[in-house]
Amino acid sequence: MTATKLAGEPQAGPGAPPSQEVNRRRGGYQAAMKRRPWLLLGPALAVLAILMLWPLGRVVWLSFQDYGLRELNRGTSNYIGLENYAEIFGSSYLYTVVLPNTIGFAAVCVILTIVLGTLIALFLQTLPTLWRYFTSTAIMVAWAVPAVTGTYVWAFIFEPANGLATNVFAGLGLMEVGEVNWFLTRFSFYAISTLNVVQHSIPFVAVTVLAGLLTVPQELYESARIDGAGSWRQFWTITFPILKPVFAVVTILSTIWDFKVFTQIWLMPGGGGTNPELFNLGVWAYVQSFAQSEYGMGSAIAVVLTIVLLSITVVYLRTLFKEEEL
Amino acid sequence: MSSRVTGRKILRWILQAAGVITCLVFFLLPAYWMMSTAIDPAAAFRGSNVLPQGFTLDHFREVLGRAGFGRFMRNSLIVAAITVALSALLALLAATAVARFRFKFRTAILVMILIAQMVPLEALVIPLFLQARNLQMLNSLLGLSIVYLAFSIPFAVWMLRGFVAAVPIEVEEAAYVDGASWWRMFWSVLFPLVAPGLVATSVFSFITAWNEFIFALTFLQDDSKFTVAIGLQRFFGQNTADWGPIMAASTLITLPVIIFFVAVQRSLVSGLSAGAVKG
Repeated sequence: MTATKLAGEPQAGPGAPPSQEVNRRRGGYQAAMKRRPWLLLGPALAVLAILMLWPLGRVVWLSFQDYGLRELNRGTSNYIGLENYAEIFGSSYLYTVVLPNTIGFAAVCVILTIVLGTLIALFLQTLPTLWRYFTSTAIMVAWAVPAVTGTYVWAFIFEPANGLATNVFAGLGLMEVGEVNWFLTRFSFYAISTLNVVQHSIPFVAVTVLAGLLTVPQELYESARIDGAGSWRQFWTITFPILKPVFAVVTILSTIWDFKVFTQIWLMPGGGGTNPELFNLGVWAYVQSFAQSEYGMGSAIAVVLTIVLLSITVVYLRTLFKEEEL
Repeated sequence: MSSRVTGRKILRWILQAAGVITCLVFFLLPAYWMMSTAIDPAAAFRGSNVLPQGFTLDHFREVLGRAGFGRFMRNSLIVAAITVALSALLALLAATAVARFRFKFRTAILVMILIAQMVPLEALVIPLFLQARNLQMLNSLLGLSIVYLAFSIPFAVWMLRGFVAAVPIEVEEAAYVDGASWWRMFWSVLFPLVAPGLVATSVFSFITAWNEFIFALTFLQDDSKFTVAIGLQRFFGQNTADWGPIMAASTLITLPVIIFFVAVQRSLVSGLSAGAVKG
């Protein structure tokens, strides 16, 4: 639109033929074209350097110190080498509580998200276009609900006295109202968090896989059907191989997101740093830093979390690079 | 023969209807439960009643009046507006650079922008808190907005890159032929053509800033500076079983996000899975 309007405008330089005008300009262009991308990138890169690169360096630097309120107020440093890391990896707390809460939780969430998301995408594909659009929009609402408010709704639904789930289970005769507080034990606490996180992450997987499904040529399925292949075989011999890159990307992104879950744990009753049984890596780092004022120790835990996530990111990048030139 | 075909058609239709209903119930349940409890006069005794037991706006009145959510919403709007304005401008410039120019380290910068989106906020919040404390920026809404730039810019660049690349190069050339300089071309040709993408990107920066929890929790200690997420947390802490007002406050926070989100959902999905799904 704009282009045609511009082309219709009168020429800026009177008289001079357009071709000569362009050639004259192109000379000065070379140098400007070399500088320009860096001029354009400059502000964004400066912000990222100050707000991301430098803090990441600082968190590593802090992780080698016993850094508390005293050091913070005096502005001094207090190096202790690898002691923070030795303490983290030397305690059984990491292996019995924090890692299962982080890795186990992420693994269950990712598997449930991918399997259910794929099933929903396959189902949506069978619907007529209008219904597909309507249903996928409704599914997107679950993704749109912010983590903060969504978590409180799940806390309400599972509340011991007045919650929806509590009353439904009581109505089925499975339990008495007010008998069980699900937020006190680790397994039920994380089961509710899993429901919260999975419900929130399925929409992205379902919609992305659906977009991929719609690109698979229908003739492939038709010839498979003629050969007598059922839906299960069709999925594994046609759909899955073609959509492998899509599955790789959604799996890795889900893994990264589910590893750094913080808000959905912190805001659940009992999840806000009072019950050490419920900590994952992120919550542990936060509590060490801001509740205990042991910023060095908290930084070391945060560094461990960052390294785990960056290794997953490397896998992600390799998958992406195989797919296209950036 | 034909009755068997219609029989299968009806069965298929019933299964599809059941599937749609299951999806709607499962995915809309939290949003529905939140909003229907917010208008329920007997919210404290909601139990497993599917429908609210009446209609009232009292919970909203309480939340906006006594609990001061009007102020929290204003604070969140200020933070989100600053974040959106700055990140849209910086991201548009950066996206144009990576989409329109071939230069040294271009790939390295793209990879860095991707990696930046994976960095956990739990790791950034510790050094940035210490820094903000030294700079006396802890209770500042401006300080919080600037911090939010760190995680809104990478995603915005990544999304806008696609929108800029989609503008045909011939359009640019036509502008040069008309004697426009590069900057003139950028503002009067590229900018209007990328505007829809800029709107979608801005909506996501807005949602990120509006929803953000961990930095707001750490940086804001003065009630008058609370954003909605922290306001809700404090309110929940003080009125734990008062579900009517809690859900009313949640509704006020959630509703604008749902509306924005559904409006620009397609761009979000393609932005996140860039490279995996073509077209």
